[in-house]
Amino acid sequence: MRTRAILGSALAAFSILAIGWEAGTSNGTLATTTTTDTGGTASGTTGTGSSSSSSSNTTDSGSTSGSDSSSSTTSTSGAADGTYSGSVESTRFGDVQVQVTISGGAITDVTALKLTDHDGRSVQISNRAAPILRQEVLASQSANVQMVGGATYTSEAYLSSLQSALDQAGF
Amino acid sequence: MTATLPHVAATPEVTRSAPTIDAGRRRRLQRRRLASDLLVMAFWASGAAAAALYLASGGLADWTSAGGIVTGVGILAGLIGTDFVLVMLVLAARIPVLDAVVGHDRAMAVHRRLGKPALYLLLAHGALLLIGYALTAQLDLVAQFVQLWELPDMPLAFLAIGLFVAVVVTSLVAVRRKLPYEFWYGVHLLSYAAVLTALPHQLSVGGVLAEGTVQRVYWIGLYIVAIGSIVVFRVAEPIVSSLRHRMRVERVEWIAPDVASLHLTGRRLDLLGARGGQYFFWRFWSGRTWWHAHPISLSAEPTARRARITVRVLGEGTRRMTRVAPGTPVSFSGPFGLFTDAARTSPRLAIVAAGIGVTPVRALLESGDLAHGEATILLRGSTDDAVFLADELRELAGRRGARLFRSVGPRGATGGWLSAADRARGVTIRSIFPELAQSDLYICGPQAWTDAVVADARAAGVHEDRIHTERFDW
Repeated sequence: MRTRAILGSALAAFSILAIGWEAGTSNGTLATTTTTDTGGTASGTTGTGSSSSSSSNTTDSGSTSGSDSSSSTTSTSGAADGTYSGSVESTRFGDVQVQVTISGGAITDVTALKLTDHDGRSVQISNRAAPILRQEVLASQSANVQMVGGATYTSEAYLSSLQSALDQAGF
Repeated sequence: MTATLPHVAATPEVTRSAPTIDAGRRRRLQRRRLASDLLVMAFWASGAAAAALYLASGGLADWTSAGGIVTGVGILAGLIGTDFVLVMLVLAARIPVLDAVVGHDRAMAVHRRLGKPALYLLLAHGALLLIGYALTAQLDLVAQFVQLWELPDMPLAFLAIGLFVAVVVTSLVAVRRKLPYEFWYGVHLLSYAAVLTALPHQLSVGGVLAEGTVQRVYWIGLYIVAIGSIVVFRVAEPIVSSLRHRMRVERVEWIAPDVASLHLTGRRLDLLGARGGQYFFWRFWSGRTWWHAHPISLSAEPTARRARITVRVLGEGTRRMTRVAPGTPVSFSGPFGLFTDAARTSPRLAIVAAGIGVTPVRALLESGDLAHGEATILLRGSTDDAVFLADELRELAGRRGARLFRSVGPRGATGGWLSAADRARGVTIRSIFPELAQSDLYICGPQAWTDAVVADARAAGVHEDRIHTERFDW
């Protein structure tokens, strides 16, 4: 009966771990992150061929815009082309604001104007999360994407700021 | 009924009316085994679940640099360490189902074994995250520590780890032996503070348990189960049943220079639900004794109005307890323990008791349903005076048709668990209990002595399921 307990425990533990592993590697977050940035700016490259966007980690207000020339996007919505700034979302680790660029009826770029910056750890977390979120948004063409694990404050604020920008654009 | 100890292994007599293993007993045993195996599996599964949820949330995405890997391992250590701590709370909560399956004393043995691993995991959690963050941010450890300290709820988390260290260090066998019980107990109460002060940083700083994640729901659920079982079974339930039964001390009767029976009165004590051989945690509400509860067996089957416990003065706490005035209110939690006929698996019953360990044996004999000749009892004492309740036991043994032996005298330098004189005459566990192979062996006495009997029984081939012990030292 001891063996039953040991075998049962091993089986239960391994299957639970396997399920967790499978869930973690198949939801996309693993594949999208290729770099972990230290300190400064994070550059995320996107799959849609747009130019690189710089997400600033300081609170300097909305000057950085990632203007770009998008190539292959399908126009499906009636949103007007242009650049729209979302609302400023406050979190306990700092404010978050994003700017979205609509071109040809599609989201072609998302730029972070402000990211959580209360301390070095928050900056790290934000700089890791921002490129992932940007890429997911570009891929799904909406603010309805999965949050980045370990960066929930940033993700929530990022996506709600994005949603307000999309609302302005009538997207 | 007290006879000279048989010193030659008697040939097993052919018993005409040997009770058979009834189907109910076998079913109960199998259910208990299954339940205890399931508990072991649940424990390991909970640890795995802590890690799996982290993996499922994409935790491995960070494992791309040295700093990320160190941080990730640190997070896993924290999750599993916290899981262990919550399991320890559940084990210490005196949950009746747990007691019925493995016994509260065994649950506490596991609780003690988990203490050090849990602490190591939590210390590793702190150290690895500090190093991992510092690597990622390219900061030195001191600067990184300052940064961590400035995060919300982190000072509380550092306080928590300090408390955990204090709780585990004072519980190390070598340290605890040197400390007064009161001091150890006071420090141990801080573990509740440690669990609660560690909680905020997990929910605020830890991105892993951030709002809206499955992990947050899971962990809050675990906390509710762990703290809830403490509140329900260690606080609420004892209050309710103590108010219901309204027990008071009637009188204290000294039966030996250091042994006293406390006679208690109360309402509907026959409804306590205690089987012979079980114990309660008693708290006597006098000025000097109210602050801590003692685990003590009933030494007689309770009647509707009366119950009795028998205490040996072993320390300051038990001394104070025997000096309470008549009329002192008594609260309790219980009953606990598997030292009852409910745990039996075999047709015959062999009982070995030493010193104050006779108390549960007496209650077991009194309440059990025994056939004539089913039980054999050996009482052990270093002197005649150290065999307590001997007269009552002799009478009960007569009524139950049980054989009663005594082994009195010092153990001698050679060790063993019988008196040196009996050992010299060739008395062994097999000669006392010729039908040991068909017997449940109940052992109750001081820990070292109990261990010696258990070792002897194992050597004689008694199956683990048939050895029943009760610890008196927690």
